[in-house]
Amino acid sequence: MTGRRVLFEHVLEPGTGKAIELLKDQILRIEQVEGGQCADFNCFNVHDYKEFMHCGRTRTVHGFHPTKGTFMWSAPPRERAMLYILEDTVARNDVLFPRCSAYVYEASYGFAVHTNCHDIQAEAQREYGLTPDDVHDSFNLFMCTGVDQNGHAYMTRQTSKPGDHVDLLALMDVLAVPNVCGADVMRTSNFSLKPLKLSVFAATEADLKRVPKTPTLRSQRTPKDFRNPTIKADRPLRRDPTYKPEFPNTPVRITELPVPLSPEELDTFKAVKRTDIYGDDDAAALRDLLFSWWEERFLQANAGAPSIESE
Amino acid sequence: MVETVIRLRLNQQQLELIDRTISRGIAPDRVSLVRLAVREYAAARRAETMVKPNDLEPKR
Repeated sequence: MTGRRVLFEHVLEPGTGKAIELLKDQILRIEQVEGGQCADFNCFNVHDYKEFMHCGRTRTVHGFHPTKGTFMWSAPPRERAMLYILEDTVARNDVLFPRCSAYVYEASYGFAVHTNCHDIQAEAQREYGLTPDDVHDSFNLFMCTGVDQNGHAYMTRQTSKPGDHVDLLALMDVLAVPNVCGADVMRTSNFSLKPLKLSVFAATEADLKRVPKTPTLRSQRTPKDFRNPTIKADRPLRRDPTYKPEFPNTPVRITELPVPLSPEELDTFKAVKRTDIYGDDDAAALRDLLFSWWEERFLQANAGAPSIESE
Repeated sequence: MVETVIRLRLNQQQLELIDRTISRGIAPDRVSLVRLAVREYAAARRAETMVKPNDLEPKR
């Protein structure tokens, strides 16, 4: 971090969070003070809070434990890289678990009131006019989780030490909201609540050069592209009597494509067709083969994730 | 030579992807592209089977 200028420092006390305006090309460091503390994290486009970080998209692109060299993405239809994880000294983060909430502590532990990530996030976000309903799925820094053989997510203790940190580089102007996870009766933060240090730096040219290129596509839409760009300002839902559906590419039309196969080609097809799924429906099996082949040959990343140009 | 005709049922989006693939020079027409897919997909499965028998799932 040689040459980085410190712009802001703050210690997050246990039970608290802080909303920070993190401008493009600034770095937020979230740092262990005593070690062993999970930080929950929310993030919004500071100029349009309806664009927010989306754990679903992020875990699809980078897996369940995104770390150094990955991005935090905004939700569809925006789907832009909001933050880049420039440094991560522990390399164990989580995008599987939701934020803990008052309900969890009441239902499972009988607490009338208990520190919890949802309410801490909501209170921190209130400084910028957001409501408890605006808190979104949390990127859980330093949280040690996995998936067991039965497909259930689990969490376990963490091994982070004082000074361990994650550096988040803003790729757009964001409201970054970290909080000290409120879980002291779970393994999340090794059964205690501890402070976390926040620092904001101006990124250096060397920092910025480390960010891989991400695609800019027409499908990354903003309100100017929406049929309804107006944010609803009241709570009840009422039908718009003038509504006329405009679903894209509808109606879906089917065209028949006759494909003549020679005896050799037919044998080749029969050897690999998915009878287990399609039975005697050769047309469906051939369609599966065609698009499976296409994916294997042309798809650059799993699950339609964007192609990212690394350094 | 007796050919067997399989009638693929494709929607306009699937055809668009096929036609864009053809426009990249991968095959001269739709039918040729499907035939190419059969050959290449089967070849990839044969290569996989040599490494790991009983697994026809494509590797990604």
